[in-house]
Amino acid sequence: MESNQAKNSLLSSHDNIQRTQYPYVTGTSVVALKYKDGILMASDMGGSYGSTLRYKSVERLKPIGKHSLLGASGELSDFQEILRYLDELILYDNMWDDGNSLGPKEVHNYLTRVMYNRRNKFDPLWNTLVLGGVKKGHKYLGMVSMIGVNFEDDHVATGFGNHLARPILRDEWREDLTFEEGVKLLEKCMRVLLYRDRSAVNKLQIAKITEEGVTISQPYSLKTFWGFSAFQNPTVGAEGSW
Amino acid sequence: MTKQAANWSPYDNNGGSCVAIAGIDYCVIAADTRMSTGYSILTREYSKICKLADKSLMASSGFQADVKALQKFLAARHLIYQHQHNKQMSCPAMAQLLSNTLYYKRFFPYYSFNVLGGLDTEGKGCVYTYDAVGSYERVGYGCQGSGSTLIMPFLDNQLKSPSPLLLPAQDAVTPLSEAEAVDLVKTCFASATERDIYTGDKLEIVVLNADGIRREYMELRKD
Amino acid sequence: MLAKKGVGLPSFLKTGTTIVGLIFQDGVILGADTRATEGPIVADKNCEKIHYMAPNIYCCGAGTAADTEAVTDMVSSQLQLHRYHTGRESRVVTALTLLKKHLFSYQGHVSAALVLGGVDITGPHLHTIYPHGSTDTLPFATMGSGSLAAMAMFESNYKEGLTRDEGIKLVVDAICSGIFNDLGSGSNVDVCVITKGHKEYLRNHLLPNPRTFVSSKGYTFTKKTEVLSTKIIPLKERVEVTERGDAMEE
Repeated sequence: MESNQAKNSLLSSHDNIQRTQYPYVTGTSVVALKYKDGILMASDMGGSYGSTLRYKSVERLKPIGKHSLLGASGELSDFQEILRYLDELILYDNMWDDGNSLGPKEVHNYLTRVMYNRRNKFDPLWNTLVLGGVKKGHKYLGMVSMIGVNFEDDHVATGFGNHLARPILRDEWREDLTFEEGVKLLEKCMRVLLYRDRSAVNKLQIAKITEEGVTISQPYSLKTFWGFSAFQNPTVGAEGSW
Repeated sequence: MTKQAANWSPYDNNGGSCVAIAGIDYCVIAADTRMSTGYSILTREYSKICKLADKSLMASSGFQADVKALQKFLAARHLIYQHQHNKQMSCPAMAQLLSNTLYYKRFFPYYSFNVLGGLDTEGKGCVYTYDAVGSYERVGYGCQGSGSTLIMPFLDNQLKSPSPLLLPAQDAVTPLSEAEAVDLVKTCFASATERDIYTGDKLEIVVLNADGIRREYMELRKD
Repeated sequence: MLAKKGVGLPSFLKTGTTIVGLIFQDGVILGADTRATEGPIVADKNCEKIHYMAPNIYCCGAGTAADTEAVTDMVSSQLQLHRYHTGRESRVVTALTLLKKHLFSYQGHVSAALVLGGVDITGPHLHTIYPHGSTDTLPFATMGSGSLAAMAMFESNYKEGLTRDEGIKLVVDAICSGIFNDLGSGSNVDVCVITKGHKEYLRNHLLPNPRTFVSSKGYTFTKKTEVLSTKIIPLKERVEVTERGDAMEE
């Protein structure tokens, strides 16, 4: 039925079927990087309903299987649907009971196919996903966009993060970052995003994945500074104008 | 609630340039490794060159997700071919397959701009260039992608090949030596990077000859 | 077919730039990249984006090059006339007001996004001016397509009361961030330091993007258009020309 609709909308010239969808509740940037022992990922916990801050405690970092960590920005209901797909994927993989388990590379590849497949049906999942993980000493960090564009890198960021966080990461990222340094770097990125991305909120989580597994931090806030003298009395700087 | 995005496009242009040059007994295929969207760089290290068979390589720019889907499809078809024929597909055969594959999606095209390079059954270098819907031609040299308008006139000037309309058909391969061709490709990219904002970061050059495959990298401007 | 469904292929046309400014302990520092683009093509690899307004005021421009140049030149001449009239140093607010009035009256059709900086009798000032005429007074500012990349550097490293060297370094870092992360920006870094009664225009302060490859042999472009036939028709002599003295010279 659904595929029939998609077909009709593509082939017939006189239809009023709404193919293009809009996001309703969205999450903003996810930032992630490789460090010495694995992957670190950060995201805030805001859920925007258009420009309204509708939810303030949304978890956007989730463990997938034994070796992967997924972060998502974009439509939150689509993200939850993706989580259901992944639950099924992991379940069916476990049913082989062969002692094998899907690694981050496999999960990322699966997500890539799901996203691309949905864009081919003109019914995209409105997300940008970040997938990180470690398996057999191999660190993996990749990204997939709404339309299926995907790649791996040493550090990635979605949405606004691509404009604000990646310049910092490109300057300061190193292969041998320790856990503490990695967290500090992520916090630096998240602080800039907090200052400059209007849909960011000061409540975030940082997740870590290593050979030992996933740890997701409790929500916490960053220290901010608003005390510049130019901010105290903004009109004094342009006295005589309006 | 205000609608966040007015519309949605199933396509994106991830930029990049590809060049291939055929010589008498070699083929040089090159592409930059920048992947971008809009004014942002997504990654500085994404290989646009894909090995399709022992003696055919494809360099593609355009929409990365389509390119990846195309590469996977060709890889699958090549696997089937190997099972059925117990040999590697020849470069001219792969060229026809690529054309058919692109045309199959004529009304929802792969937004992918390809050059296919390799050695033909006689071991001679061959290059095929395509448009996004499968029109193709065997040439002596070719280039595709965001910097192609800058590179092509330079290649024409340096390597002008005989008209394909001549009878009897003339050999399209370039007269350059392998080292000269590699040098030419490096110049092409260094120059294209100066003036095309989507080309840059790093150049990947793959040389195919009787000895096999050799890979080379050169840094490009990162701005 | 897809186009009829409202699904268009991607298209270009924009002008990119990174321009920044900050206030440091004794004045203002402005910075700019030097790339000018026309769609995906680099039109000028080393253009100047820091414009002169008055001896103590400079202005960085992003947007349509013609608009930024025209609007800064125009206001700069108005400031000069105002100085002739009053015999006093121009103030930054004056430039600010003239610019915003002009831009507002054109309702955003004059695409100039500016970072205005200078030091006058009332101290150092830094402003941003948007194409529609709104203005802002800030301790640090960025504009253009590379503004986010540059702002990332400012937001994570700016402090009040920076020294001259620290200030220049931060401006250079911000511009470099734009150059390397934003495709609309590139090439070199221009800096302008303005302090009380003094200014220093550091054109091409940093050149971080040299060419990466030059062929050892060089290239020749000898192939000329083939000459198929030649026919020369001499001009008919209609006027008698005689050689004489230098009547027309001097």
